[in-house]
Amino acid sequence: MKFRAKIMDAACLNHFTWVSAMIAKLAKTCTLRISPQKLNFILSDKVANGGVSMWCELEQENFFSEFQVEGVSAENKAISLELMLENLSQALKTAWNARALKIKLTNKHSPCLTVSIELLSVSSSSRIVTYDIPVKVIPRKLWKDLQEPTVPVSDVSIYLPVLKTMKSIVEKMKNISNHLIIEANLSGELNLKIETELATHFKDLGNPPSASEDASQDRDPEQMAEVHVDIQKLLQFLAGQQVNPTKAVCNIVSNKTVHFDLLHEDVSLQYFIPAFS
Amino acid sequence: MKSILPIFRCLNSLERNVEKCKIFTSSDLCKVVIQFFCRHGIRRTHNVCFQESQPLQVIFEKNMCSNMLIIQPRVLAEAVVLFTSSQEEVTLAVTPLSVCLKSSSDEPMDLTSSVYSEMFVGPDEFDFFQIGADTEITFCFKELKGMLTFSEATHAPIAIHFDFPGKPMALSIDDMLLEANFILATLADEPSRASSPPSLCLSQKQKRSDLMCSTNNNSKTGKNATSKAPGCILRKAAPKRLYPNETQTDIPALENCGSPIMKRVNEDISEVPESSVSNTEEGPGSSYLRQFSCVFFGAVSSDQRQHFNYPFDSLATASDSEEDMNNGSSSTF
Repeated sequence: MKFRAKIMDAACLNHFTWVSAMIAKLAKTCTLRISPQKLNFILSDKVANGGVSMWCELEQENFFSEFQVEGVSAENKAISLELMLENLSQALKTAWNARALKIKLTNKHSPCLTVSIELLSVSSSSRIVTYDIPVKVIPRKLWKDLQEPTVPVSDVSIYLPVLKTMKSIVEKMKNISNHLIIEANLSGELNLKIETELATHFKDLGNPPSASEDASQDRDPEQMAEVHVDIQKLLQFLAGQQVNPTKAVCNIVSNKTVHFDLLHEDVSLQYFIPAFS
Repeated sequence: MKSILPIFRCLNSLERNVEKCKIFTSSDLCKVVIQFFCRHGIRRTHNVCFQESQPLQVIFEKNMCSNMLIIQPRVLAEAVVLFTSSQEEVTLAVTPLSVCLKSSSDEPMDLTSSVYSEMFVGPDEFDFFQIGADTEITFCFKELKGMLTFSEATHAPIAIHFDFPGKPMALSIDDMLLEANFILATLADEPSRASSPPSLCLSQKQKRSDLMCSTNNNSKTGKNATSKAPGCILRKAAPKRLYPNETQTDIPALENCGSPIMKRVNEDISEVPESSVSNTEEGPGSSYLRQFSCVFFGAVSSDQRQHFNYPFDSLATASDSEEDMNNGSSSTF
């Protein structure tokens, strides 16, 4: 099992740091899946996560100037590692002024992701900083939990409003109630309601063209699809989005799940929140 | 310090209003009086009560160390940022060609352990670089951070004096106005190290009077802020060793941590700085060290008697020992 990668470009490094900081806000521990073309940050929907699941994907060639991964055997070209995101995020943050960043999988006393940063110090001599982030290798038999989630057939798909606005509203609502209702319809209306009849209405959001033609044609555009979710989980998701994404879609499966599909330039993030039970 | 700080808090208003500041002690009332003579005839007086105590004195000759580095605090501060605050100890590894500051733990790490970090600093970043031999010393990170904050305020370079693991290290700042020495204990490597301290300590004792003299000189040059704060002392909650005829000296157990010789003055000491250096597992080495320290203690105390007649050697006095009453050496500075 081998993994080595290098980032030489400052902009790419900043972007990667930003991605890891964003993911660190969404989950404490998650799985990093490294395959020849992509990097995925995965949180699978176990009870420990409160049923929330996340799938974030990025194309490695948009970030790394060198990238080499070898799995356990020839046909398994991927490696799955579990790590604490805070560690990775902290290590990358030191690299804001770095000349080069190298990441590789090592096994000193235990498996680690070694991040090696070449910093340019004030006295213009370069300094090398190395971090060993402990990781746990996930064996192949558990990989079935780490598949890309299938996008559920949703009742309503709608574009989201500015996430910062949504976040400040949900934050105020959290003081009043534990769960809130997200409802949306195909006329571009999204409502966030909590039980004491406090509601926020968003209009003219627009709906993306739906995948399954026949399902949406039967649906009355005014009819709302709704799902009850835990406010904390929604808030945690929104808090991670500092920058407004290039594209943000919310898919609601009535009374089952809400699925957020975001695209930040070249990084795609999918986040599933189950209905409150 | 907590009572003194609020008195000097608003630097701006002090600079604007205060013409003169007078600080004196009134020993019969056990008070330190700080008086500000301000504009418009206003006089502000602060009375701060104190309690007599005698601090631990450290015997450590920093100039005898084979390794010395002088570095700007800013550079060290950049290194310190890399370590997470949960790190208790940090290791400084030096070779004649490079200096590495790294987090010090070799145990296999699980997911929740803190990240191992290391940073190499080239010799050209130091103002002065003298390395006798390849060495790795491990010491308390919190103390280093505290000392760095202090030195950044004074903008003076920090000198690091050290030898081998187990022997104390000194971080010193030498400015025009003040000289500060922070003596830290370092983690000892193997039990075999135990053999070196005694000769070291005895020879250091002879140098002690020199050290005391140099302190005196500093106090004559006006503002003196010589602080010998024993930084990191590993103390085991062991019962005090009582030697009825001699002074009550309590040397901390040399358990996996080399410590400078501390002469404990009085049982009434208010606090002894407790270090956050965790006790590593007790191996066979530590009992060896403990036995050893008792023997060594005997050797030191026999020499001590000669020093009782010196007025400055009021360090190791037992409050209930008749001998000290006769000596007349009291705890006044």
